[in-house]
Amino acid sequence: MPIEPISDLTLDQLDRDGAIREALDGVSSRAGFLGKAFVGSAALLGTLAAPRRAGAASPSDNAILNFALTLEYLQAAFYTETQRLGAIGAELARVPRQLGGVERAHVAALQDVLGRAAVKRPRFDFKGTTEDQVEFLRTAVAFEDLGAAAYKGQATRVDSPALLAAAVAIHSVEARHAAWMRYLAGFTPAGRAFDEGKPEFEVRRIVASTRFIVARPRTTRRRRPRFTG
Amino acid sequence: MANDLRIDVFDPAAPCEPELYESRANVLKRAFAAGGAIVAGGVLVAGLPRSAASAPSPAQDAEILNLVLLLEHMEADFFAEASVRAKLTGELLEFAEIVRGQERAHVAFLRDALGRKARKRPSFDFGEATQNPTAFSAAAVALQDLMVTAYNGQAANLTKGALEAAAKIVSVEARHAGWIRAITEKNPAPEPTDSPRTAAQVTAAVNKTRFLKSD
Repeated sequence: MPIEPISDLTLDQLDRDGAIREALDGVSSRAGFLGKAFVGSAALLGTLAAPRRAGAASPSDNAILNFALTLEYLQAAFYTETQRLGAIGAELARVPRQLGGVERAHVAALQDVLGRAAVKRPRFDFKGTTEDQVEFLRTAVAFEDLGAAAYKGQATRVDSPALLAAAVAIHSVEARHAAWMRYLAGFTPAGRAFDEGKPEFEVRRIVASTRFIVARPRTTRRRRPRFTG
Repeated sequence: MANDLRIDVFDPAAPCEPELYESRANVLKRAFAAGGAIVAGGVLVAGLPRSAASAPSPAQDAEILNLVLLLEHMEADFFAEASVRAKLTGELLEFAEIVRGQERAHVAFLRDALGRKARKRPSFDFGEATQNPTAFSAAAVALQDLMVTAYNGQAANLTKGALEAAAKIVSVEARHAGWIRAITEKNPAPEPTDSPRTAAQVTAAVNKTRFLKSD
């Protein structure tokens, strides 16, 4: 099992040697995996809204929440589109269903706490990664490792204790997802004893490098969008 | 402080932690029954001297880090013993061997961070949980889930410096939890959040295992 350095992982570094493709051959043998796809509602996500009820979150916390929301939009849209297209095989089909549900719950919670301050959902073009098992899995590994690193990078910057408690409760779920996707892809789920965080600029640079975000929403459209059908 | 953590004989009236959701409760019960069936009497950790809910401070950091150090010791010893005794093969053996090393690194890291304030090395008796693959798997899932909720419960109680250190560990524990759940065909992330446990809930969960022999 190749040990990929977690904190340095980007899309380009994954599956250069076709390891994921090989690993996928073994996935179908794991019958009964995720016996029941169950996404419960967690009361904790509701606590995200607590600071809003108690008064506005700090401007700095709002910026962090919007950064997190952007990543959750990206993840949620990726899994939702994959599930909708239905091109991912029987055993792996549980992955977009389960992860889509969780990431959409994260989006909803962050939108709720931000209210009108929430950034709008960008438009995405996943460039075929939602239709191909290998591409889907390598992208999912990268997204989940990145999500965990991004939340960790913000942990010490959050002002509100209630927001921090909610954010860390999401952070560890992203890490669970990362381990799961790595397991399915044939990578060691925990390659190091310590996970490093990533600062916002680095996360944004990696996201930009995927070119999955094709347009930020604008209030005034200056030209025709390029990727409309 | 380490020496504020008292050692009590088992108190049957001690409150159990409220279970966060049924599936996890069942896993915990099964896993902990495996250990508890063998160990007749052990010691229990009495919990933090205060509720660890006051403003972050270096003194409170030490209390919290000593609590998670106890858990890391438990895990390190559990995986060390299981990897030689539980007759593990294949994915389970690979998991146990990799995780053993990482939990050892966490123990060393926390002991180093705590310096002279670090608690004494506890000892454990894992009973059946390290004797066969089935009992091992159930206990490993329960322990890893517990670690995640324990760290998450303390995040807001730590100073920024201690939080930064703990954050590097908690996601590795979450990876372990997702990994062992994937191997054993359990949902690796059954909830949208890993709800935190308070220090009292964590110590109650530790006590319920009866794994702790001396502290």
